[in-house]
Amino acid sequence: MSRQELFRRMRKSNFFVIGAILVFLIIVISLLSPWIAPHNPTTSNLLLRLQAPDGFSKGWSGHILGTDPLGQDILSRLMVGSRVSLRISFTVVFATAMIGTVLGIVSGFFGGVADTVIMRFSDIQVSIPPMILAVAVMAVLGNNTTNLIIVLIFSRWVQYARVVRSNVMGIRNMEYIHASEVLGSSKARIMFTQILPNVLTQLIIVMSQEFGRTILTESSLSFLGLGVPAPAPSWGVMIADGREYLATAPWVIIAPGAALMIAVLAFNFLGDGVRDVLDPKNKN
Amino acid sequence: MKGDKILLKFILKRLGYTIFVLLGVSILSFGLLKLTPGSPARLMLSDDATEEQIKEKEIEMGLDKPLMTQYLSYMSGVVRGDLGDSLFYKMPNSKLIFQRLPATAYLTLVAMGIALLIGIPVGIIAGVKRGTAIDFTAMVFGLLGQSISGVVLGLIFILFFAVKLGWLPAMGYGGFEYVIMPATSLAMQMAALISRMLRSGMADVLQEDYITATYAKGISSKEINLKYALRNAILPVITIVGLQVGTFLGGAVVTEQIFGWPGIGTLTVQAIGLRDFPLVQSILLVISACFVLVNLLVDIIYTLVDPRMDFN
Repeated sequence: MSRQELFRRMRKSNFFVIGAILVFLIIVISLLSPWIAPHNPTTSNLLLRLQAPDGFSKGWSGHILGTDPLGQDILSRLMVGSRVSLRISFTVVFATAMIGTVLGIVSGFFGGVADTVIMRFSDIQVSIPPMILAVAVMAVLGNNTTNLIIVLIFSRWVQYARVVRSNVMGIRNMEYIHASEVLGSSKARIMFTQILPNVLTQLIIVMSQEFGRTILTESSLSFLGLGVPAPAPSWGVMIADGREYLATAPWVIIAPGAALMIAVLAFNFLGDGVRDVLDPKNKN
Repeated sequence: MKGDKILLKFILKRLGYTIFVLLGVSILSFGLLKLTPGSPARLMLSDDATEEQIKEKEIEMGLDKPLMTQYLSYMSGVVRGDLGDSLFYKMPNSKLIFQRLPATAYLTLVAMGIALLIGIPVGIIAGVKRGTAIDFTAMVFGLLGQSISGVVLGLIFILFFAVKLGWLPAMGYGGFEYVIMPATSLAMQMAALISRMLRSGMADVLQEDYITATYAKGISSKEINLKYALRNAILPVITIVGLQVGTFLGGAVVTEQIFGWPGIGTLTVQAIGLRDFPLVQSILLVISACFVLVNLLVDIIYTLVDPRMDFN
């Protein structure tokens, strides 16, 4: 696909355009949050607890989305909290993609014992519901962000390995691969210079679908108290903390809930857009 | 009958595979317990137990033996239905789990029903009307459904239908009115997924030559859509539904927690809070086994439904 064709398809896909703009905005807000957040996200003031949202009536210095049970400004916590979710989801998606791709290429390229071992292990892995595995492992290892990232990587690599493997098997016996072998390229060289570029499209499609899912899983685990540890302003923790105030101060959970939904929706729009743009079947 | 023999062979092969996977799951869940910080013997005894008492307990529990021996004795218990005892409840894990299993099964089955009831019609209509405003609306619904967290949806349901309107009970377990909110909030993601898959499946099938040929025969488009296209488009949906049962069971942990539903999910969260690791591990094993067996069932149903399926 030429670069022009790529840009043309990007512009044509509504999902891609909306998703890309939203994701870009979210990343910018998240990166700038320590400087643009209206208040300090961890300064509590019990005199100001559970204040209803001011909206923009008091401008930037008011509590635009209200305050939480500790009197902390919700909007500021949301903005800073987005860093946690984004950092985890980017780390997890890229690390998982790397591990899954290497295993998928090895599996598809070598076949035989390597393939059997990797694929049978992936069969076992997918037989354990990811959320249950994550809950159990986090309970055993203890909840901190590093363990959370490890668990999320461990429960999603199969996805990538399988997609990459089936793609590799499709091109394994192509003539240019044989030609490269005949010319004396090492196996590693063939895998990473000939095969990897050819599975990249499928890889990007899978990755683009995973950001939103990872953010959702992370927030669910944090909600259960098995994800990001409590004092950090993570969206899942904010929702959990607001639970008792559902009837009296619903904004405490509606604000992080809405933020979570907008972020996940943005990544899912982008994911669908990326698929529309890159999937060769999708010409109509 | 040759066909029956091939089918039987396929089912046997699939059974063998299932046993292999279950063994793998058992090794993983056994290994998880070994990762637990501190000796399980220490967890079982009171805090003021002496080192000697702990040593004694370890020997009693067989913790001084090699790992392989420990695994084998654990497995010989598992196949007899003995999953060990809960540290906190001081009763068999299997009993605790099977007391809670019906509530979770009830919740997930109702949720599955709701997901199919929403997902199938939306998927069919969007697939048939591809490219129209209806299709676009359905796709946005699908993306929304996949993007909203079950936690948030559940809490919003409680806020509106229980707190504000007072139509449904906010939490607890009882008649049908109790299951509506948890099941619906659990079902949303699955409904969205089914509708999206069915939409693209329908749209693909409707472009096939044999559908054009059927049109040429003068059969009405309604009949074609429902009788010919749907039958083919629904097959991948069956597989996905089977595979997603795992996600469903995982989602149930959170949903049960929100709605105070007395199922496996609530038991898991309690067990974690109490640091009752043998119970957590047994839950992992039982849930995974259920999931594997559901998929075995789905595969067998699939084979029976799809005449094109080859048994290799």
